[in-house]
Amino acid sequence: MLEIRSARKIFYKGQPDEKIALNDLSLTLPTGNFAIVIGSNGAGKSSMLNAISGALMLDSGKILINGDDVTALPVHKRASRVARVFQDPMKGTAASMTVAENMLLAELRGKKLGLSRGLNAMRVASYRERLAALNLGLENRLDTRVELLSGGQRQSLSLIMATCDQPDLLLLDEHTAALDPRTADIVMQATVRAVEAFNLTTLMVTHNMQHAVDFGHSVVMLDAGAIRLEITGAEKAEVTIPKLIGHFGMKTDRMLLAS
Amino acid sequence: METVSTIISNFITLIPVTLAQSLILSFIVLGIMLPFRTLNFPDLTSEGAFPLGGCVCALSLAGGAPGWLAILVAMAAGFLAGSCTAFVHLRFRIHTLLAGILMMTMLYSINLRLMGKSNLSVYGTPTIFDGVPFVEPGFPMSKIIVTALLGIAIYCLLNLYFRTERGTAMRAVGSNPDMAEAQGISIWAATIGGVGLAGAFSATSGALMVQSQGFADVNMGIGTLINGLAALMIGEAIVGKQTIRRQLAAPFVGAIVYYQLVSLCLAAGMPPTDLKLATGLFVLAMLALPTLKRSRGAMPARETIRE
Repeated sequence: MLEIRSARKIFYKGQPDEKIALNDLSLTLPTGNFAIVIGSNGAGKSSMLNAISGALMLDSGKILINGDDVTALPVHKRASRVARVFQDPMKGTAASMTVAENMLLAELRGKKLGLSRGLNAMRVASYRERLAALNLGLENRLDTRVELLSGGQRQSLSLIMATCDQPDLLLLDEHTAALDPRTADIVMQATVRAVEAFNLTTLMVTHNMQHAVDFGHSVVMLDAGAIRLEITGAEKAEVTIPKLIGHFGMKTDRMLLAS
Repeated sequence: METVSTIISNFITLIPVTLAQSLILSFIVLGIMLPFRTLNFPDLTSEGAFPLGGCVCALSLAGGAPGWLAILVAMAAGFLAGSCTAFVHLRFRIHTLLAGILMMTMLYSINLRLMGKSNLSVYGTPTIFDGVPFVEPGFPMSKIIVTALLGIAIYCLLNLYFRTERGTAMRAVGSNPDMAEAQGISIWAATIGGVGLAGAFSATSGALMVQSQGFADVNMGIGTLINGLAALMIGEAIVGKQTIRRQLAAPFVGAIVYYQLVSLCLAAGMPPTDLKLATGLFVLAMLALPTLKRSRGAMPARETIRE
């Protein structure tokens, strides 16, 4: 379960270009809930995700994951609880290391690291099995450096890495936005499979209204650093693209185009 | 005019001496390679850590410490110097190169302070090269055996370390710091540990040099960095850098080949004063080569180095 209590963050405070990124934002996401986050550019979606992952320290407010206060913890100390897939496929993987080594890093996420051999035969076999489920042929490329993979393969790998040891919270930051429609579809299906299989508590930021309609248990809409609208339950099941776009106040072209 | 045969015979007589010297200096090449290649942290501390290791070693020897203990003390000092550079970079967000230059400059004064004068002779004190059986102490062969054994041991240990969970994590910090952090790896621990370790190897090199030549000098570090880089480039060109094993072998192979090449050039009559220019041009050419090759194809992604 994720709880954000009155999160506040102001950039360039007291300067002419002061910007309120998070304006007393509060959000509760029950365990196992898959929420879609929408909102126009600059609404605070990325700031919210960064605050949850620890990349952004709050000015005030609290963030709790499964009841534990993580507000003051840096990124690497939250890693055992939070996994994240970025929009940029380059960001979620270590390019100069092999597929298997990247899987190892993901498996070790947030664990105490030892001096025993990292890639042992048992681990390699389990990675092969997990990657085979993607149907992208990655299971035969365990010793390939990640920089040689395509964007879609890298993003699929990032997803497998993020979900492999069932994080308390999964953050998806427009993770299909940089992919072609077919690959985006494959990655999206893999996402849904993983989220459902492990019953992951998930926040997915997207500009794709079709995704917002098709997936998730709820839709959260951000505006000016605060939650403007929450659609849950039966109402979410009946939501349509025009209805969603109506809430934007007809100001964002990118949304219309994406739909 | 010298004939080719005298050049070659001059070169051949120098081979053992040069080999001993290159093995001693291979540790500083290792100290340059580690942060540069595994942490993406171009570190200039080595030019200060090398004489620091030498000074500390000379002082320890003068104080009656055995050779191996003097080297351990030097390693500790080098580790401290390297981790200070990493700390300056991490805490104050100072560019890695500038942090290294600052540290290197400050170390010069520290070295002078430590020794109290610009050089210190430790000639005649027992060294780590004395205990080799069947070989007369002081001759190149004893130095070759001791440094080669030490080099092999360090190579094997590092090779094992970079395959452990912790070693893999350290390489991830160099490959993609944001991703490493998101996997729960502490950038601070990895960087301070890695750059510190590199400083320790540079200092080892200085300490071995002092035991080999019998004196320490505050200026003994000048030029070691560019020589080390040249050696690293040669090593990587010969053994490659695709795998950990190759990347770790590159400094040793490179040092051995590079110093023999220098010796050949000197034997062929190149004025020693031109050596730095020649080395600099060589490093430049090696660094420029990939961009020259690539410019015919698609534009490469801009290379990013940690700032």
